[in-house]
Amino acid sequence: MLRLDGLRKSFGPTLAVDGVSLAVNPGEVFGLLGPNGAGKSTTIHLAVGLLSPDAGRVEIRGLGPPTDPAARRVIGVAPQSLAVYDDLTGRENLAFFAGLFGLGRAERRRKADEALEAVGLLDRAADRAGTYSGGMKRRLNLAAGIVHDPSLIVLDEPTAGVDPQSRDNILGMVRRLAQRGRTVVYTTHYMEEAEKLCDRVAVIDRGRLLDLGTVHELIARHGGDTTVTITRGRGDHARSDAVPTKDPARTLREAMASGGDITAVRVDRPDLETVFLTLTGRSLRDA
Amino acid sequence: MSPALSIAMNDLRLLLRDRVNAFFVFVFPLLFAMFFGSIFGGGGEGRGRMTVAVVDEDRTPASLAFVESLRADEALAVGGPMSMGQAESLVRQGKTTALVFLPEGFGEASDGLFAGRSLPIRAKVDPSRRAEAGLLTGKLNEIAFRRMTGLFSGEGWRDRLALARDRLAREPVAGPRGEALGTLLDDLGVFYERMESADDAAPDESGRAGEGGGVGGFSPVDVKVEELTRDLAGRPKNSYEVSFPQGIVWGLMGCVMGFGVSLAHERTRGTLVRLTTAPISRGTILLGKALACFVACLLVQAMLLGFGMLVFGIRLDGPSAWAMMGLAVLCSSVGFAGVMMFVAGISQTGPGAEGFGRALILILTMIGGGTVPLFMLPGWMQTAGMISPFTWATRAIEGALWRGFSPGEMALPCVVLIGFGAAGWVVGVRAMKWTT
Ligand SMILES: Nc1ncnc2c1ncn2[C@@H]1O[C@H](COP(=O)(O)OP(=O)(O)OP(=O)(O)O)[C@@H](O)[C@H]1O
Ligand SMILES: [Mg+2]
Repeated sequence: MLRLDGLRKSFGPTLAVDGVSLAVNPGEVFGLLGPNGAGKSTTIHLAVGLLSPDAGRVEIRGLGPPTDPAARRVIGVAPQSLAVYDDLTGRENLAFFAGLFGLGRAERRRKADEALEAVGLLDRAADRAGTYSGGMKRRLNLAAGIVHDPSLIVLDEPTAGVDPQSRDNILGMVRRLAQRGRTVVYTTHYMEEAEKLCDRVAVIDRGRLLDLGTVHELIARHGGDTTVTITRGRGDHARSDAVPTKDPARTLREAMASGGDITAVRVDRPDLETVFLTLTGRSLRDA
Repeated sequence: MSPALSIAMNDLRLLLRDRVNAFFVFVFPLLFAMFFGSIFGGGGEGRGRMTVAVVDEDRTPASLAFVESLRADEALAVGGPMSMGQAESLVRQGKTTALVFLPEGFGEASDGLFAGRSLPIRAKVDPSRRAEAGLLTGKLNEIAFRRMTGLFSGEGWRDRLALARDRLAREPVAGPRGEALGTLLDDLGVFYERMESADDAAPDESGRAGEGGGVGGFSPVDVKVEELTRDLAGRPKNSYEVSFPQGIVWGLMGCVMGFGVSLAHERTRGTLVRLTTAPISRGTILLGKALACFVACLLVQAMLLGFGMLVFGIRLDGPSAWAMMGLAVLCSSVGFAGVMMFVAGISQTGPGAEGFGRALILILTMIGGGTVPLFMLPGWMQTAGMISPFTWATRAIEGALWRGFSPGEMALPCVVLIGFGAAGWVVGVRAMKWTT
């Protein structure tokens, strides 16, 4: 659906994107995971044709570069900033954006209401966006990206700074889009979200694509062993052993068999956090 | 709807919803024009009393007496008697509101009132003072009727009735009017006999027939007011013709500022991302933005001119002045749409650039006729002001309004305005940044 080939982009001395190549398959939810300043937004801007790369190329399948009007028609973007007009109502915002895609008057309004419905804002459709809460603006921002029913939807941190209610709504929305066969590219620095939602994840840091795969594959490749920690004894006599293992069940059975007064067991499975730590030597949250 | 058009309509809607912007585009210029128009006096000198120049071509006791009655009136400041030429030029120059002309035959008519003659009084007024012209018509009728009551009262009535009967015999008035007049004269004779015996003054109502009153369309007073077409020597006829072009300058400034920074805000806000990722070209986006500014410039100018014409007596004389005004408004709208692109472009070049853009436009506005009317500026300032597009808009508007520009004279400011627009467009588009 979307193919990036050796993309490179620098801003003055900052190399924001450094040779990123990847291909997003039709119908998948594709995550770009990386800390602040990793180059996620820049990659996305290159992908949708907002920026032109210093090197490399972008192709929307069968339609050429994203600057081509035909390609633009199938792309929907929800930028990281809240790109809506505060002085327009939710419905007016969406109808205006739909109009830019050449939709007629009646069609515009129908699509606007569909998108508002999808993000749960239909009851606030006639209120100005300026009166919306932060989470509601995020949802409207997302709705504005899908109002023209694009097949490739690019979301830049759609859940940044929102309350749990809006977050659930947005994640549900992304899932429904995927179920309807849309392709979603999604940036985040919340690894739980990436783990739950994304079919495949690309890990980016300092402009470089470190690895790409399903969450399982990434953990299998970089997560290392599961750690089983077995504590024996109580109080001052307590003693813990951390055992790295590929097969925690077997490790546990062996521990039980070897006897002793086992008082606690902890199993730490590797996750994307571990993957990131292994790949960069830094924690995702500190990065 | 074409995308450029829907962007333009959206921008205009946003302008109207932004109270502060809308105020500076539409309300402030109007307040400015009304305020400065009024403090410099709606019609030059003679505030309070209406200035009137008298031309007496009759020079009979009756006409002299009428002039004296005019002088005695509190509401009028009377100059003259003078020649028609002098009086007309005073009115044309806006130094006097109106001239009152008593033609030859005024005295004779006043003697022949009962014989069906009406008292001829002519006036010519400055067309920009229509409201005052209405007042003058009323005044002239009032004074004429007051004088007629004077004729009826006092001792002279027996002679006048006799004179009138004589005249009617010599030059009979045909038809029912003649008969009516005969009856009137008879009745008047009876009336005065009785009045005298009652030793009472003549009732005031006797003369209050008003215009168009009287028997069979006959009115004893014949006041005709015409407008004196304006002088093309190029002077504003009233202070509103100066203040409304100034108001237009502020309105244009409001448009330039409002739309110029809106583009920068769209960029920081991210809505520009939506526009640029839509299947439309960047040229279309800019065209939509420029179109919005163009339409707002047209609207603000039309609104100010319309208001000035309807309420403050500014006026365009004849189709050619209208055509010149159309051209002036069109060219300044095109020009300032371009200037807006310039502001939009430089507002994006970095922090502080927006403030710089605002300051620059404010200075250009002030030296371009926004504060002190151009023709009042010292010569070197007028020269310096030529770097401001506002100067040229002022010149074009004034050219149509009161400078009486010919198409040839209008060409210069129009070409300069379009030039500013084109230059602004080129520089602005080059400086434009599309992403944060
Ligand atoms: N317009 C720009 N001018 C200069 N530097 C920029 C610009 N845009 C991005 N950068 C730099 O490029 C790098 C990548 O930025 P980018 O916005 O792509 O990161 P990100 O992964 O989206 O971060 P975040 O999670 O904070 O959104 C950063 O170092 C940033 O400072
Ligand atoms: Mg980002």
